[in-house]
This record gives sequence, structure tokens and C-alpha cells, in this order.
Amino acid sequence: MADAPSSISSRKGVPAAQAPGNPVRDVRGPIKRLYSSVRDGRGFDIVLVAFPLGFLFLMAGLPLLYNVLMSFQEVDMFSLGTLMRPFVGLKNYRDLFAQPETLPILANTAIFVAGSIAGQFLIGFGLALFFWVNFPGASWLRGLFLVSWVMPGLVVGAIWNWILSGDFGVLNFVLREGGVISGNIFWRSDPNYSLYAVILANIWLGTAFNMILLSVGLSAIPADLYEAAELDGANAWQRFWTITLPMMRSTIGAIIALGLIFTLQQFDLFAAITSGGPNNSSNVTQYWAWEQSFRQYDFAKGATISVLMIIFVMIASVVYVRSTRHEVRG
Amino acid sequence: MGIRKYAVIGALALAGVSLFGLSARAEDVKLTLWSLDRNIQPAPNLVAEFNKLNNGIHIEYRQIQFDDVVSEAMRAYSTGQAPDIIAIDNPEHALFSSRGAFLDLTDMISKSTVIKPENYFPGPLKSVEWDGRYYGVPKATNTIALYYNKDMFKAKGLDPSKPPQTWDELVDAARKLTDPAANVYGLAFSAKANEEGTFQFLPWAQMGGGSYENINAEGAVKALEIWKKIIDEKLASPDTLTRGQWDSTGTFNSGNAAMAISGPWELDRMTQEAKFDWGVTLLPVPKEGAERSSAMGDFNWAIFASSKHPEEAFKALEFFASQDDKMFKNYGQLPARSDISIPETGQPLKDAALKVFLEQLKYAKPRGPHPEWPKISKAIQDAIQAALTGQASPKDALDQAAEKIKAVLG
Repeated sequence: MADAPSSISSRKGVPAAQAPGNPVRDVRGPIKRLYSSVRDGRGFDIVLVAFPLGFLFLMAGLPLLYNVLMSFQEVDMFSLGTLMRPFVGLKNYRDLFAQPETLPILANTAIFVAGSIAGQFLIGFGLALFFWVNFPGASWLRGLFLVSWVMPGLVVGAIWNWILSGDFGVLNFVLREGGVISGNIFWRSDPNYSLYAVILANIWLGTAFNMILLSVGLSAIPADLYEAAELDGANAWQRFWTITLPMMRSTIGAIIALGLIFTLQQFDLFAAITSGGPNNSSNVTQYWAWEQSFRQYDFAKGATISVLMIIFVMIASVVYVRSTRHEVRG
Repeated sequence: MGIRKYAVIGALALAGVSLFGLSARAEDVKLTLWSLDRNIQPAPNLVAEFNKLNNGIHIEYRQIQFDDVVSEAMRAYSTGQAPDIIAIDNPEHALFSSRGAFLDLTDMISKSTVIKPENYFPGPLKSVEWDGRYYGVPKATNTIALYYNKDMFKAKGLDPSKPPQTWDELVDAARKLTDPAANVYGLAFSAKANEEGTFQFLPWAQMGGGSYENINAEGAVKALEIWKKIIDEKLASPDTLTRGQWDSTGTFNSGNAAMAISGPWELDRMTQEAKFDWGVTLLPVPKEGAERSSAMGDFNWAIFASSKHPEEAFKALEFFASQDDKMFKNYGQLPARSDISIPETGQPLKDAALKVFLEQLKYAKPRGPHPEWPKISKAIQDAIQAALTGQASPKDALDQAAEKIKAVLG
């Protein structure tokens, strides 16, 4: 492309332009054009786009499609290696919704996601605002909070297992000594508490991550906005509602979307603390899908549950994209 | 340049020698073996001993995690990558043999001088059977019985030489032994919503005249009612619902439970950790003279039907079986054999316990065998959990389980 803006390609185009009647040009031209297009031009753009797209398709798209395919098939362990298995239409879906535990588990998932995100976000935001004050050692302490985020989920699960243990748990001890409860609460084994036990652990796990992202968002707000508002006589509360929150809108949207993804991925804590029990009272779709596939070897059912989760996440991401489209800037 | 030339020649010569060496080794028949055993457990040691025999068969060992045994094996088999030999948990044996994934060993066993069906306990042997043919060899076995803290029995005025023999005696003893002020529960067991829950409950149902095909039998309902009573009266920790056997028995070892239902795999830890006098007795029965029953655990050896060297693989199994007599001494596991008398270990508590477990093994029944055992087991777990959390009465819960199991059995 002789007319490409880059200096490299226009320099290369010079000799060809100098010999307009040269027949060799017609032979070399297309190859050279293709070459220079790939180096710098539309071809380059296509390569740039194609590479990540191909990667995404291979690594995420294919497994996703395979998962959807499996949810319409009859799969057992010995047909795992083949692609074309007997199709059963919507049978897996019908069977799934005929099971009495399906709706409670979906409800548990909603409670888990909402509870975890609300807790992580509110505490994370509170901490971010607290460290924003920038007292001596604030950045150090903020860094230390990340320890919880760095720890593997299974380790966190094991620790919370001890904290939440019914007979000798630390949490029960603290609550009892504090006079909040008179008898022990069996966090893991009481169907009324088991889901909240996992939510508690998950809030602890995710708060630091929320705090760090929100801190970044806070530090990006220009200080002169606050100075101006202060001069105009706005109090701290008004400044928070009219400057901080609107300026943080995209950050908050991103964090809630990420939180949704992370909580829907949260598996380790369930495996470590309650195993979804007792009696499915703390079971959620992501753990259930695994249970169906790798405990009952009902891979089709596991895939069906995963498809439901995909739909759920898609709806959530559409909401996210729409809500951040009309972003308030500056 | 001269040096480089020599170096090249040298390298070629070396490669030639090592190729020669490799080809000499390649004459060995290579087998692969998968098992979950760690290096202090039988499989890797047996493999190492077998390889030392230098009999032209070389086994490569691969350790897999407990949770992955079935899924790894399935994936490997369906893609043609299955090992020659695998150690598989006994309730899952039928899953493979019913599909022809395991080799039918009946003819080889009938010719074998080492592996003889009559030498095995009936329970473990039944777990390798499918349609009257043998698809494996029991690797080891275990069962559950009642551990009790003799010191606590004395302190609460119970006779330590007369541990509870019936369900009612068990509940009575548990009531007397429970002491919330001292953080002591009467009993520790596991009603967890996984295979462990089924493993612990099924013997009770069987003693009551039930079975997995008849899980809502009157006696099985009675058994679940007793379990519910134990949980409701807090004679056992409510965490019984979410705790496995190993953790539950841990509370017994630390003196926070006066009795515990668990297996011989606890013996080594208990001899080290328990700072009190303890004993083991047979699982209590519904009433005096009632039929005994117990759970049967542990793994079986099997050869995959896809193995290219079935004869050699069976030779390896014969070698493993020939070492069964050293299993308890070296690895603390019980051989699934009735013809082997296990020598004393010199630790009186352990030896006494061993006698009880060997007696209990006579009544051990396999889970299944059925190719869809995980689904049957899940139905039973669901029933246990629904009843113990009070979301269904024991009768309703087991009726529901029976219906689910009926659908699986077809």
C-alpha cells in the first residue's frame, strides 16, 4: 500500500513507483501488497483482531459450545470421548426442573450472589474511603488487606471451617462471650445458617479486592472538584453524593460485574465449608454442576446447569453494559 | 575443529550405547498401574518390589487423588489411554465391569494357584463380581465398628467391659455419657452428604432388615429414627451432618466424644493421640440376637479390558495377592482374606481392636454392586440429611429415597 501513512511503507513503495512499466511489478505486486498490508494496513488490523478472537474461540468459545451441545445429549462416562452422542432434545432441562431441589438451589445462588456482592462492596467501599484519608501508614495497611485476596480459596475455606465450627469455633466463642448468643450456632450444619456461613467467608475473601479497585477509582477523581465544591460550601455528605459517587460510576459498575463473576465462580469455599449441605441448604448452581458431573457422573445434567449459569451471567452482563453506556465523565 | 569432531563422535557413541541400553530395557513388558496409594501405603511399595523381581515385566506407577480416580479412569478409557491395572473403590467397580471396561478374570482366577475365590471374605469378593463373573481382585478391606472411651464409661458409672450391644443400649449409654458442661458428646459418627454418609447408614438399615433395594423397610426407618433421636437430643454434635469420619473420630481422640463409629484406618492415629483407655466393639444391633451387618470399604484391583498384556498384568495381581499377609504389619490395612491370620503387633489396644474388626468383617456387605451406585447412594444421603435436619420425617425421607432408587434400578 503505497498510500499507507506510515513512513516505512511509503519508502518501500518508492522503487515500484519509479518503474511504472515494469512487468515484474504485476507479479510481485500482489504478494508485496499483501506483505505490506500485513505489516501495516488493513491486513495488520485483521491479524490483530483475528489473533485474540481465535484464541478466545479456541479457549473459551469451543468449550462453551461443547457444553451447550452436551446439555442436549445423553452423556455417560463411556461416551465422554465422542462428540456425537444421542440427542435428547430438552429432556435434560425438563428433568432438571422436575427435581425438587432445583428451585431452592437457584434461590440459594441468588441469595449468595446478592449477599456476597453487597457485603464485599459495602465493606470494601467503606475501607477504601477510610484509607483515602491517607493517614500515616495508610498505603501499607491497605496492602496488607490484600493478604486475604492472595490466599487460595481452599485455605480460606479450611480456616473458616475452624472459625465456624459449631462446638469449638472461634466465632461462637466470641458471640457467646459477647453475650450475643446463649447456645452455640452450628453454622455449617444448621440449614438456617449454612448458606450465610459461606457468604460470610466469601465476603471476607472478596472485600480486599473491592477495596483496592475502589481505591484506584477514588484516586482518579481530580482534587480540584472537591476544592471547588468546598468553596461553594458543600458539606462532606453532599460532596460524597454529588462528586464521589457519580465519578465512581464506571468503577462501581465494573466492580459489581466482576463481583458477579467471582461469586458465581466461587467453588472452593463450598467444597471446604459445607459441601453444599446439609440437605442442599447451602448448595448453589456452580457447586451443584460439579456435583452432578463428577460425583454422580451425570455429565449432561452438569452441562445443563452450566448453561443456565451462562444465561444468567449473560443477562447480568447485558444489564452491566447498558448501565455503563451513558457514562458521566468529568 | 578436531576437538569438535571428536566431541561429535563421542556424543554419537554415547547415544548409540544409551539406545542399545534402552532397547535392552524395551524387551521388558511395560505395564502402567494407577492407584491412590501414597508412598507409605501398599501399591507403590508392591510395585517397587515387583519390579525388583526382574521377571521381564516392568510396572510404572502413577498416583491419582481419591476424588479423581473414577473420572480420570473414565476419561482415559474412553480415549484409549487407560492403564493396564487400576485400584478402584469397591462400590464403583460395577460401573466399569458392567460396561465391559474391566477384563473378565474368571478363567485366569480358576487356573491361578495364588488367587483363590474361597480365600476371600464374601463381601469384598461380591464387589468384584458382575453377572456371576469376577472382574477384579479385592485389594484390601475395612469395615466400621464402635470405638468407646473406657475411662469415660467408668466415670459415668457404666461397665467398660460391657459396651452397648443394641441400639437402645447405645442411645442410653450416649445419654449418660453426654456432658455438655465438659464439652463431651455421647457419640461421634458421620452423616455427611457424601459416600461416607451412605457407608455409615447402610449397615444400620441392613441390620434392620432393609437394603439399598428396600431402603424404606420398617427396620431402616427405625434406624433413621434412632439417628434423628441422637442428633435431636444432641447426643452427637450437630456437625455430624457436615463432618466426615476422620474429623468426627478426631473429636473422640481428643476426648470430646465418648464413643465413635469408624473403621480400622483410625487405629494408628488413635494409638498415638488418644490419652485414655479405649476399646472397640461390634456395631450395636436393633435388638439382642438380631442379624449383624456392617459396611465394607476399600479398593479392588482390576485390569482394563483394553490392556495389551492381560497375562502379565494378572501376574502382577498374583504377586500383590501373595504379599497380602504382610499388609497389616507394613501398612496397617486389612487384607480381604479369610485364610490369613494376622500376626499380633505387640500393642494390646490395637490387637484387641483388630480382633473385633476381623469379626465385624464377616458381616460386612458391599454397597451394590450396581453400575449406577453413585445415584443410589445420593438418594440415601438425601434421605439422611432431610430427616436429620427435620425437613422430612424419617419415614417420608426414606420413602422418597426408595422411589428414587426404584427409578435407578428400573
